[in-house]
Amino acid sequence: MSEAPVAVRDLSKRYGSVVAVDHLNFDVQAGQVCGLLGPNGAGKTTALRMLVGLVHPTGGETQLFGRKVRPGSPELARVGTMIEHASFVPHLNGVDNLRLYWEAGGRPLAEADMDRALAVAGLGDAIKRRVKTYSQGMRQRLGIARSLLGNPELLVFDEPTNGLDPQEMRAVRGLIRRVADEGHTVLLSSHILSEIEQVCSHAVVMDRGKLVATGTVADLVASGASAYIEVDDPVRARAQLEAMAGVERVEDESPGLVVRLAGATRPELVAALVGAGISVQTVTSRHALEEAFLGLVGEETERHIGKGA
Amino acid sequence: MFRLVRTEMYKQLRRPRTWVALGFVILVPIIITIALKANPPTLTDGRGGGGGGGHDGGPRFFYLAAQSGLLVPIATLRVMSEFFLVVIFCLFAGDAIASEAGWGNLRFLLTRPIGRGRLLVAKLIVAAAYSVLATALILVSGLIAGGIAFGYHGISVPVLGISMSVSSILGNLLLAGVLAAWGIAGVAAFAFMLSTMMDNSAGAIMGAVGLYIVTSILGAIDSIGPIRYGFPTFYNGAWSNLFTGASFGGDMVRNVVAQIPYVIVFVTIGYWWFRRKDITS
Repeated sequence: MSEAPVAVRDLSKRYGSVVAVDHLNFDVQAGQVCGLLGPNGAGKTTALRMLVGLVHPTGGETQLFGRKVRPGSPELARVGTMIEHASFVPHLNGVDNLRLYWEAGGRPLAEADMDRALAVAGLGDAIKRRVKTYSQGMRQRLGIARSLLGNPELLVFDEPTNGLDPQEMRAVRGLIRRVADEGHTVLLSSHILSEIEQVCSHAVVMDRGKLVATGTVADLVASGASAYIEVDDPVRARAQLEAMAGVERVEDESPGLVVRLAGATRPELVAALVGAGISVQTVTSRHALEEAFLGLVGEETERHIGKGA
Repeated sequence: MFRLVRTEMYKQLRRPRTWVALGFVILVPIIITIALKANPPTLTDGRGGGGGGGHDGGPRFFYLAAQSGLLVPIATLRVMSEFFLVVIFCLFAGDAIASEAGWGNLRFLLTRPIGRGRLLVAKLIVAAAYSVLATALILVSGLIAGGIAFGYHGISVPVLGISMSVSSILGNLLLAGVLAAWGIAGVAAFAFMLSTMMDNSAGAIMGAVGLYIVTSILGAIDSIGPIRYGFPTFYNGAWSNLFTGASFGGDMVRNVVAQIPYVIVFVTIGYWWFRRKDITS
């Protein structure tokens, strides 16, 4: 049996005729910061809910630290979670919410390392206000603080920046990066590609409930390297580029061309075009993970995907 | 389990609606006492609050309350147990799981190493504790207000055939509180069951209050026949016979027994449902 903090084995969930998760398999090893990436409706949240015992699988199983997960499993004591937006008991203040959450698990408050959690939340005096007066960003920060109580080995965050403004997103991502740097294993779901690219070392790509790809973010990015070029003569440029070594294919994307790279670099493309007497007006690198993602799950998914915030 | 119950008690204690509910049960006996003191009822107009569950001819509680402060809590309990106390019980029971789900906090609570059965038991204990507290507050508030207004002494009303010493009244008062509270247990268990199925506590509370109203109305229709005797509400007011000289027995026992299958069935279904439920709220 695997001792990885997270092991997902042939996991399926069906709601009537709808298959939310379809024979999903992946591991997250200790120390990894793994992004669960997929468009809205890919089954990420359902998979994470099954991972922590909130939703019953219809097939397969999830394991935490080598043990099969059931509702209330003892292994959950080693996990901090924030599933979807952070929610609290609204009529209690931030401190009471953290305290009650911790004590409900049956362990003394002294083991919670509350001071560290409160420092992470960074809410100042607002921590003594009722949570119903908090902004969404404050709740998310308090949610991350709650997940850190007791210094768990594994953190599971589901769309942690959903509904936040850009400033709050940045703050929350910084927080996640910080706790990851402290050595926690993190599993983070998102449909925002730049978020995964900024925060994660590894990624699991899902689409329509199925596993599409898994590996390091660097490998996924490398598999999808490309460039966008605008020139004065697209027809000649296309022929020139298609003949080059290290170019996989060239596609029209009016008014320019998208060049899928298989070894060639962007400066080499420019040099070849200029050498052939073609004027190059624009050269940009495409968002690397976005390209990789679209290559993996297909262009039709593009409209569902956030291209970063 | 102790820590879990303690956290749930605290959570409920800090809810404004808990304070409103408990404040209400404290206030009503005081209001009734003031009304009785200002307008003492006579034997002919003191029938308010009388009548047992499905029974006619209950004692004249308001008249008796004006004779001894010890009977103010009984008059108040009689009035409140017919509806307001039911709503309060349903509030605490219907709130148990559904409000956590409604806040979105249930999914965080259940990612702690807490078995769902344990959480349900803790919630049930807390709902029961606050329901008992509400009943006790009616009695205590009534005793204090009634004592101040009418004094503490036994009563003797030969024309009604009622004669009770202080100790007898106090003993029956305690028993009446227990029986009145237990008489609502079946409906409260229904609220608790609904609470495990819904993400909105209002739905669970209203559903159970609806059950109470429907069975109370049906229970009053004689032509329905003996099936009414199985309703959880049919014998609700039977405890008032304690104050007509009757000892514990008859309809009071039937009321106690009638609640048991409802409590067992509704709590068991709630447990079964909650164990199998996917937490998606």
